[in-house]
Amino acid sequence: MARLTIAIPQAPAGRRLPPALAVLLRRKIAVLGAVLMVLTTAVGLLAPVIAGNPTHMDVAARLGAPSAARWFGTDDLGRDVFSRVVYGARLSLLVGTTVVVLTFGAGVSAGLLAGYFRALDNPIMRVMDGLMAFPAIILAIALMASLGPSVSNVILAIAVVYTPRVARVVRGAVLVIRETAYVEAARALGAADASLMLRHILPNCLSPVIVQGSFVFAAAVLTEAALSFLGVGVPPYVPSWGNILSEGRLYLQQAPWLVLYPGGAIMLTILGLNLFGDGLRDLLDPKLRGLGSERPGAS
Amino acid sequence: MKTYVLRRLLALIPVALVVATVGFVLIHLAPGDPASIIAGPDASAEDVSKIAQQLGLDQPLHVQLVRWYGRLLQGDLGSSIFLRKPVTEAILDRAEPTLLLTLAAVLIAVLIGVPAGVLSARYHNSATDQAFMMLALAGISIPNFLLGLLFVLVFGVWLGWFPVAGYSPLEDGWPATLRSLVLPAFALGLVQSALIARIARSSMLDVLREQFIVAGRAKGLGERAVVYKHALRNALVPTVTVIGISFAVLISGAVVVETVFNIPGLGRLIISAVLRRDYPVVQGVVLVIAGVYMLMNLLVDLSYLLIDPRVRYR
Repeated sequence: MARLTIAIPQAPAGRRLPPALAVLLRRKIAVLGAVLMVLTTAVGLLAPVIAGNPTHMDVAARLGAPSAARWFGTDDLGRDVFSRVVYGARLSLLVGTTVVVLTFGAGVSAGLLAGYFRALDNPIMRVMDGLMAFPAIILAIALMASLGPSVSNVILAIAVVYTPRVARVVRGAVLVIRETAYVEAARALGAADASLMLRHILPNCLSPVIVQGSFVFAAAVLTEAALSFLGVGVPPYVPSWGNILSEGRLYLQQAPWLVLYPGGAIMLTILGLNLFGDGLRDLLDPKLRGLGSERPGAS
Repeated sequence: MKTYVLRRLLALIPVALVVATVGFVLIHLAPGDPASIIAGPDASAEDVSKIAQQLGLDQPLHVQLVRWYGRLLQGDLGSSIFLRKPVTEAILDRAEPTLLLTLAAVLIAVLIGVPAGVLSARYHNSATDQAFMMLALAGISIPNFLLGLLFVLVFGVWLGWFPVAGYSPLEDGWPATLRSLVLPAFALGLVQSALIARIARSSMLDVLREQFIVAGRAKGLGERAVVYKHALRNALVPTVTVIGISFAVLISGAVVVETVFNIPGLGRLIISAVLRRDYPVVQGVVLVIAGVYMLMNLLVDLSYLLIDPRVRYR
């Protein structure tokens, strides 16, 4: 029997990579992301061991170029830039982690309540929509204007900005899961609202939320850096990547290392989070594979 | 179609109400009495009560809130404490550079992002695709103000091709304006083009898997016609959303990038207002930008009527 073949023209691919290789590459990229994340975390946690005093001033050595003794040079007050970048990682880690915890606490509760109780849906989500009508960085600046500069206020302001984004994702997932057969079955068996929400619905809507986690973390780090760069974030004496860049802007000509090193640290950290987040999404949410959207817009 | 437009307009009301309320709450979030914070630590009790009176802070909270809504409806944003002029006037004075910078950045973002995304999708999984997507990933990992600083360093300080900072207003001739906006617009636009490229690519890929694309190929349409005529038009819907949102994102990004290049726009206005505790200006700029943001989202929704006929029948 003659075999009938129908030639379906394919997209004129240049050199097509074998699918397995492409998958491996993607995984490798996610692994690279994880490595970068572990590296930043380790640097942040071990800051007191690795670096010297980030606020010690050596006025004689101000704006010194990178050398064997001072790897990243010194700033305009003679402080060691390497120590400040390392302690900046510690601050970014603190800001990112607490913002993720706070936005998840508030966002998951709000999203769960809005998705589960129809009566609460409108009031909760309209408030969230209202907050999301502000561009992230603008709302953060405005909140900082009222709260005043401090590390905890920066964390609070960024958490307020990103909570609606988490709430929206959770609510969307709850609306779908609420209608599934197993939730109906649990309800038929007499499960109370609280048990339905916490035991049956919540665990099943966690994977999109976890995927959001790495993006919220990245957005928090970026927003802190932007706020501090603008001079409305953490106080100037606190070693933060944004603060170093803010000083570096004034001495770009004499001391480019003030921009290059903290800038590199921000890029590697955010790149790591994005790579890891993409990998996580592929793993947890196969439906969204290859989709590059749905990240909270950072500054 | 009319009901669709009407529904979108009605949906704006609660959002606008929340936005206005947030604007009001801002001034009351500050720890302590807002009037004495605005007046500064050295102010006399008399000055403080004068400011409280001027801003209506001596009234009960609900009266203040109702008055606030009333004033906003009339387009009255109050007066700047420091600049001694109406906030709307201060904003209009500073709007030109921010708007021009945003428009230039949107143009750059779209002109680079959409073709890069479409090419990546057409040559899916090829070396071109991988290279574009690696670049896009690097692009979304670098904040705009950092890219701006690096541009100043490379093209301003080292190569000397463009001015390091500053802005030349339109009334001094547009070539100079354009020159002063090249670096900031690229710093702002390139980052956004990475995002647009990623979304254009994924929506193209989705469309290229559809039945009507297979049908088009089966009836012998050329690859060009399939990709650029049939697929692109359908892939535009999510892409237009992103472009519209880009405008909104970029206007707030402009606020940050202005600091890098010392451009006297809305960004410098709000930051100096924050540092001087000039709350009416902070509130005003925040509300105006939120208003533009909402307007852009509305326009994006309405643009579906033109691009995607399916929306009309919903």
